[in-house]
Amino acid sequence: MKKLIVLSTLTSAIVMAGAYKIPEQSVNSMALGAAYIAHTTDADSAYFNPANMSFLDPEVNYFEAGITLAHLPKNNFEGTQAGIPMPADAESEIENLPIPYMHFVMATDNRWRFGMSTTVPAGLTKRWKTPIQKLYAEEFTLKNVELNPVVSYKVSDTFSIGGGIRMVYSEGKVYSDGGALAPIKREMEGDTIEWGYNVALAWRPTEDVAVGITYRSKIDLNEEGQANLYLSGIGRQYDASVSVPLPAALNIGISKTWNDRLTLEFVYERTFWSAYETLDFEYGTPIQPALVGAFDDPKDKLWEDTNTFRLGLTYQYNDKLTLMAGYSYDETPILEEHVSYELPDSDAHIFSAGFKYKYSENLTLGAAVLYDKKVSRKITQPTGINGEFSDGGAVLLTAGISYRF
Amino acid sequence: MVYLLRSVLFAVVLMVTGCGDLDQPSNPQVEGGEVVVSFDQTLMKKTLIKAGAADENTTVFGYTAYKIPYVTTDEEGDEVAVSGLMVVPTGLPEAVTQQIGLSLVSDDHGTIFANDEAPGVIGEKTSAPDGAAIILTALAGFVTLQPDYIGFGDSNDHYHPFVLKKSLANATVDFIDAAKTFATANGIKLNGQLFLTGYSEGGYAALATLQKIEKEGGPEVAIAAPMSGPYAMNEMAMGVLSQPELTVPSFMANVGYSYAKAYGKVLTDVINEPYASKLATLFDGSLNRTGIDPQLTTKTVGADGLFNPVIVNDFFTDPNNWFKQAMLENDVHRWAPQTQVRLVHCMGDDVIPFAISQLAEGTMKAYQAADVSIVPVEIALTGDPATEMRLGHAECGKYAYGVAAKIFGEARYKLFHY
Repeated sequence: MKKLIVLSTLTSAIVMAGAYKIPEQSVNSMALGAAYIAHTTDADSAYFNPANMSFLDPEVNYFEAGITLAHLPKNNFEGTQAGIPMPADAESEIENLPIPYMHFVMATDNRWRFGMSTTVPAGLTKRWKTPIQKLYAEEFTLKNVELNPVVSYKVSDTFSIGGGIRMVYSEGKVYSDGGALAPIKREMEGDTIEWGYNVALAWRPTEDVAVGITYRSKIDLNEEGQANLYLSGIGRQYDASVSVPLPAALNIGISKTWNDRLTLEFVYERTFWSAYETLDFEYGTPIQPALVGAFDDPKDKLWEDTNTFRLGLTYQYNDKLTLMAGYSYDETPILEEHVSYELPDSDAHIFSAGFKYKYSENLTLGAAVLYDKKVSRKITQPTGINGEFSDGGAVLLTAGISYRF
Repeated sequence: MVYLLRSVLFAVVLMVTGCGDLDQPSNPQVEGGEVVVSFDQTLMKKTLIKAGAADENTTVFGYTAYKIPYVTTDEEGDEVAVSGLMVVPTGLPEAVTQQIGLSLVSDDHGTIFANDEAPGVIGEKTSAPDGAAIILTALAGFVTLQPDYIGFGDSNDHYHPFVLKKSLANATVDFIDAAKTFATANGIKLNGQLFLTGYSEGGYAALATLQKIEKEGGPEVAIAAPMSGPYAMNEMAMGVLSQPELTVPSFMANVGYSYAKAYGKVLTDVINEPYASKLATLFDGSLNRTGIDPQLTTKTVGADGLFNPVIVNDFFTDPNNWFKQAMLENDVHRWAPQTQVRLVHCMGDDVIPFAISQLAEGTMKAYQAADVSIVPVEIALTGDPATEMRLGHAECGKYAYGVAAKIFGEARYKLFHY
């Protein structure tokens, strides 16, 4: 059981933005609620808009690293589960998770510039210990680490393009346990390395206006591993796989700066979640016939593309201190008929704030906090969940340093 | 470049994730076998009620099945590593499980072709109760022993000696011994009472087993209740080979195939081409009967039939014909059992005629058998000797097992009062 313990204690996956994507990957982006596409100013440009690397000081190497501590409070559920003649009221487990990140932009003496980011672009973990919920999602975890080398090319003094290769290592873990309700249990773990790309452009029509557009490609996370499937306490191990998409996303941002001190940025994000049509576990050999309905038949997801609207405000208080705040409205891609215990997602209001303090010419320290308030959601499914999910959401604290040399 | 990126990513991944494969399932550990099915009393009852096999008032026991590997001897005298399924009831009173002990029923399975149909394989692949053991164990409280036979389960790479009495009896007797050893090693208390049964090929195997035990010595058998078996192989072969059409060609093709193998004969002397060349593949355990029959002809004999007309002609005309001699050698009814034998058979059997059991009864009585009689299933079910009910071979099975379980249950009660 060594691996199970390791995975439980060193996880890097959270539920935050709509479904399981995590847009915030630096102090700036956390403080601005990811309203950070057009006006990016640090090493994290490599991730949020690589085209903007062209507009950073060419003689400077930019480095930034930090860690986000995510606190996921309980999801409350009050209601029933069709076919089970008892209340299904429950609370999911509290999660506290560290999420590291790192960005780097290399100095240049020409129009090309190189950068690289290591981030956790998506993740999900949801654990339930109550009997009815355990039957569906004792634990459902998806963890990803992305290495994203990028380049930019400065087409002109006001226009730049960029792009890169995305290499994503992903681990998935699905546990469900019928306990006293049904004599079935599943333990599945898998991992994969997948590839994608991202492209970006940056345009500075005037000195105080910036426009940025980025696109990150869809990556199918084809998790391959093993599954232990139990019927009445006796298990068999199978080669197993399941595919979950990391969806494509288009971001369009525009910012306006006043007096070199105050910057307001608006970002529209379209996330193409409709790629997630089914959750279909595949096995190397036929599984126990009694378990086919629960663990082998494909489950419809039929998620929908979503819109997210982000607004970020940056205020240069003085030479050393920068203050930031943000607000976002984030739609859920999950239709009512497909909400499940592994991800009882809902629309969210996201509030954020943070600061950066220039400790020296080279070193800047920063911190940010983000509060993701999930809207309570009533679910009525004729053959499934009937009740209301409430609370949930997330509180994230990020601390980071940037170093220029 | 890719190598470098992979190295960097790997280092980051190590910081946030684990490594290694998923551990094997945490199943209960036993000595000398493997637990493949475990249904407690409540779950078993719920399952049987849902299947319409029990109601709230039915006494139902739990069901734990162990796959046990053991060694037996084939027709050629070579040792073969084989497997079987031992199904143990749970939820019985402690007075039974701790003091009196459990009675054994050796249940030889009927004709199968696919390896997936063998009891041990079914248990291993489904983790669910299946077949006759539900009647004998979950409903009647016996420990059921089901050898996979040579050719199935752990010995799937060996040809199955179809209706060849020596190896079928070896596989059964050796499994009874292996199961007793397993029970001792794992604290399963037995009371020494042993019953033999089996359906169709299993009925034949059960009677072959009794003959071996009485001839060579072995565990004492309380009652043998073989069911619907082709005990008189010579008469069965005469009956089938004299018909122009074969209802189920895979049965006789398998007889020809396994007898040619066991007696070292050239297969094409028995089975015509193109069928002879196909049989090794057809009988390798990958197909069931419905997958095999369409690949054979239903015409019994002739240039375009299944059987070579030369050997069939010899079979009927030459008493020294090797195929005929082999059939006679593998009859299991021409002897005098001293154990109580109940030949359970459906009068409406359309595959193994009821007359075969009548012939077996008469022959064994003529040999001075101690106590042999026929139990017609339809009469046992209705209690009416003049009943017009008739059950065919396929549908008869579950009722026949119920009749056998009742016979064994009464004998157990007489001795142990449970």
